[in-house]
Amino acid sequence: MLQKPESGALPIPQAEREMDGSHDGETQPLTASQEMSPEEDLGAVREEGASEPSLTPKGARALAAKTLARRRACRRLDRTVAELVQFLLLKDRKKSPITRSEMVKYVIGDLKDLFPEIIARAAEHLRYVFGFELKQLDRKHHTYILINKLKPIEHEEEALRGDGPRLGLLMMILGLIYMKGNSAREAQVWAMLRRLGVRPSKYHFLFGYPKRLIMEDFVQLRYLNYRRVPHTNPPECEFSWGPRSNLETSKMKVLGFVAKLHKKEPQHWPVQYREALADEADRARAGASVRARASTHLW
Amino acid sequence: MQGSTRRTGIMTDVHRRFLQLLMTHGVLEECDVKRLPKHCDKVHDCNATVEKPEDFINNINSVLESLYIEIKKGVTEDDGRPIYALVNLATTSISKMASDFAENELDLFRKALELIIDSDTGFASSTNILNLVDQLKGKKMRKKEAEHVLQKFVQNKWQGEKEGEFTLHGRAILEMDQYIRETYPDAVKVCNICRSLLIQGQSCETCGIRVHVPCVAKYLQSNSEPHCPHCNDYWPHEVPEVFDPEKERETGMSRSNKRSLRSRQH
Repeated sequence: MLQKPESGALPIPQAEREMDGSHDGETQPLTASQEMSPEEDLGAVREEGASEPSLTPKGARALAAKTLARRRACRRLDRTVAELVQFLLLKDRKKSPITRSEMVKYVIGDLKDLFPEIIARAAEHLRYVFGFELKQLDRKHHTYILINKLKPIEHEEEALRGDGPRLGLLMMILGLIYMKGNSAREAQVWAMLRRLGVRPSKYHFLFGYPKRLIMEDFVQLRYLNYRRVPHTNPPECEFSWGPRSNLETSKMKVLGFVAKLHKKEPQHWPVQYREALADEADRARAGASVRARASTHLW
Repeated sequence: MQGSTRRTGIMTDVHRRFLQLLMTHGVLEECDVKRLPKHCDKVHDCNATVEKPEDFINNINSVLESLYIEIKKGVTEDDGRPIYALVNLATTSISKMASDFAENELDLFRKALELIIDSDTGFASSTNILNLVDQLKGKKMRKKEAEHVLQKFVQNKWQGEKEGEFTLHGRAILEMDQYIRETYPDAVKVCNICRSLLIQGQSCETCGIRVHVPCVAKYLQSNSEPHCPHCNDYWPHEVPEVFDPEKERETGMSRSNKRSLRSRQH
């Protein structure tokens, strides 16, 4: 886990070490004013300076020491906020809510009285920098989650790798699944890919590790469903279209793709063609009813 | 607003999306940096001005500064592709992995890492790694389990695998640079040309210096007589062409045939 912050012993980025100059290494005890927010600290410093128009050398040194202590407190606070941001991002990837006590245990430590301020600043960073909103799930148990404020974009994979190899591979698999009656055994999929020179665990210069791409990425991204076929011994698994494939493409489009591959017309496969036509009709109906509902309800 | 949440850069949803994708994928390539803003233009909420990749990254980095993280650019050791990873500037540990792996799995990674760094080739064989399974901290791990864990490292882009041998992924090299230099100060190797961490590369048989393959490819590009950058002796190893993203796009199919050198050389 992220290291718990200890006063004076935090690894400081190079630039800061230089700013600190000769005081580096000295552990200034954080004064009771640590309890105040950095701005209150700075405000107090200004007040003190104002009420003592002529500082004695001793007074000036004391003031300098206090200023340094406050600056350190600020920096420590900044770093704690930064660590909390990273902690929240890491925890969120596992999709489990994060509790306040976890945050205190792993990140905030003895600054826990400043928790409200720290979490507020962390939330602002998360919002501005990453586009996540930190939401408290319930007031009583102090658990939080991150909500992605960015609209999901279609074809995110396309945005990155561009159309081309990986989606082409996906289309081949979707085509196979469709032509085999909406599900294809895993063995059939690999047999087809082998004919293309693609082996499950052999690194491919276009697809990376095909096994990982198909079994993990495509399944995780909901392009494909992967499940055990019941009552098979030895156990076999099969692929079917995932919900995302149904959203991003259609039976008619995939049939068209397969047809082109074979240099034929979609009608060449009458069963699949009829099924694709029915699917098109369903989609048209679904689209119409959504529009109808939207106009009569307040969403 | 307390503290400094805003610095010189201005974040838009395009930048945020890039950051989110970088966090999800662990590492992104140069073509991703170029492609993403253009793609976002098609979505209604993005503005039209598309920044150059360096400006795009620098913009984000100026905002990330206050969070002690940075997008670092690196180059893959085997084929010279530019890659980007999110590097933590404040802690020097493998903390990012800590949230995804158990104690014994992290220890397996450390053990494999040590073998990789100590090796001549930058690769550690699966057999040698698995033989260390008994020495792992934490819950006892069987060899079969360890094989799965190694595959997990590969999938999460911490390690790379080639023919049953494991090396460090470009992402890990970028993110763990500081950690590696601090933990293995004596065993760590450095490229004579670019001075960064070297896991895989070629070495001069006369003076012993080591270089990254893409680095020496660039260095020898204009020279007809390949020679060592340090001692000038004849350079005996095969050196591939310098990575060219434009050429890569056109000749997609034949690239693997053209590449003369993919295996480690020493």
